[in-house]
Amino acid sequence: MAKLQNSPKSDRNRIIAIAVLLIVLVILPILIENDYVKHLLIMACISTVLGMTFSLLFSTGLITLGAGAFYAIGAYVSAILAINYGLSFWIALPLTIIISSIIALILGAIFVKNGGIAFVIISLLFANVVVIATGQSEFLGGWGGIIGIPKPSAIGPIEFTTKTAFYYLALTLLSIIIIIYLALYTSRIGRAWRAIKLSPNLAGTLGINLYRYRLLAFTISSATAATMGSFYAHYFQTITPNAFSGWLSIYIQLYSVLGGLEYYIMGPAIGALIMTFIPEYLRVIKEIEPIVTGVLLLVIILFFPGGILGSFRNRAKNGDSFIGKIGKRLSVYKSWVFKSK
Amino acid sequence: MALLEVKNITRSFGGLIALRNLSFDVYNLEIVGLIGPNGAGKSTLFNIISGFYRPDRGKVIFRGEQITGLSVDEVARKGIGRIFQEPTLFMQETVFENVFTGFHRHFEQSYLKAFLHTNSANREEKEKKIKVLEILDFMGLLNLKDEIAGNLPHGHQRALAIAIALATGPELLLLDEPVTGMNPSETMQMVDKIKQIRDSGITVLIVEHDMKAVMSLCDRIIVLSLGVKISEGVPDQIRQDTLVIEAYLGKRIA
Repeated sequence: MAKLQNSPKSDRNRIIAIAVLLIVLVILPILIENDYVKHLLIMACISTVLGMTFSLLFSTGLITLGAGAFYAIGAYVSAILAINYGLSFWIALPLTIIISSIIALILGAIFVKNGGIAFVIISLLFANVVVIATGQSEFLGGWGGIIGIPKPSAIGPIEFTTKTAFYYLALTLLSIIIIIYLALYTSRIGRAWRAIKLSPNLAGTLGINLYRYRLLAFTISSATAATMGSFYAHYFQTITPNAFSGWLSIYIQLYSVLGGLEYYIMGPAIGALIMTFIPEYLRVIKEIEPIVTGVLLLVIILFFPGGILGSFRNRAKNGDSFIGKIGKRLSVYKSWVFKSK
Repeated sequence: MALLEVKNITRSFGGLIALRNLSFDVYNLEIVGLIGPNGAGKSTLFNIISGFYRPDRGKVIFRGEQITGLSVDEVARKGIGRIFQEPTLFMQETVFENVFTGFHRHFEQSYLKAFLHTNSANREEKEKKIKVLEILDFMGLLNLKDEIAGNLPHGHQRALAIAIALATGPELLLLDEPVTGMNPSETMQMVDKIKQIRDSGITVLIVEHDMKAVMSLCDRIIVLSLGVKISEGVPDQIRQDTLVIEAYLGKRIA
């Protein structure tokens, strides 16, 4: 019989790679003293997760232009629970996840019905409706937003007064979400999603219910975005509708496209890191950032349709150049996410 | 009782009537051929049986149970597998993954267990993977298991499509042009495979233009022309049926 197992060596390499990455991420705030850089790292964690929610839907063949919608819903739900009901972050967060999941399930039941271009348009409109509706709502603070959202209360000796503490909280949320997503992608649920994306007709004849699996993906993706929305609200302590404008959804999409659409976890992570840090160090272009972003998106789509990771992998196939060698290393991550063998 | 009963099926697209009052039965462990010139309505019928289209009138009964109006995945779960006329595979996936995905409906461990990767769920995955290898071996694809499906030559893609359908564990297999575009030796191999599939307990309904393959393969043949059944019988009867010859070649003048 042919072999089914991965070689123990590649398994060991993966574990070493994860361990090294984790150690670096954990000691990072000790090495960095600048609070602003820590803030950027926190934002990169949030952006990575939001990119992952885009990629999750993409893995089922759905393209969302409204990935920011449930991020906003999560932030507002959590803020209201904290301010109007006096709940601490630790109770507001799970409640936010539950409430957002229910909203996502109900709306998703209508949204994912027709897939394809219909979903693209609905998601785009929905994200904008959310922004305008919150802006118009007195209860939600109008365009001025909600201020004075409490920070997470201390758990034991850990107090959330420093950026470092928030960074570790963001990193913890990110790690948990990555583990959950990996578990999904490597299970038969992830296989069914991928089947739907690659060929809806064939997936149907295999007994896969397209609608239900897409609804599941929509709900999980929305609940994940809401989780980060809740974190964001309690981290920033202030939320305004404009923070969740249509631009946000475009950026979220860019994280995944830039990193590599076929890399459901590493892609958004790399895209988010680049998009968080590079504009900060190119201060000059801050005013014209949207233009730069737009041009960047065009360049990637035209010349590097596989994103950064995708082009590394293509080089890896084509020879032994320096970049090719990096590509070969990185190609490990692809199999990491997909291959259940 | 027939395994599959097609009763008075009518289906039109706009003004064009694709199938007109079509009825026939398929019995257990038969290989039934469905032939007819282009536009006869064969593919329409396949799409109706497998749930892609709904008939305007009439019904499809499978194992005594009406399946008209069920969705594609529900029909699949009743035990009807199909391959498509155009190559329909998970093109970017390996041959192995393609067939593995085909086992979807046979996982019994709960979604929660699958998500948590419990021991029982992992064991089940491993069992299915061994079955994947068996199917690949049977279809002669074992040495290609790590190839990307999109890179395979046409003949192997057809074989892979059947392998995926077999993975769903069907009782009835609908094959839409399984040997079209194959060379004669590939065709004979495929004909052999289809016979073996029947011998393993799967009833086969097949649409095919390759007459040699159809005649050597089928127990019974149904001939459609312009949406109407014009003949039905064993291969020898069909070969001599003047109506059939007319439908394919046109009427002799004078």
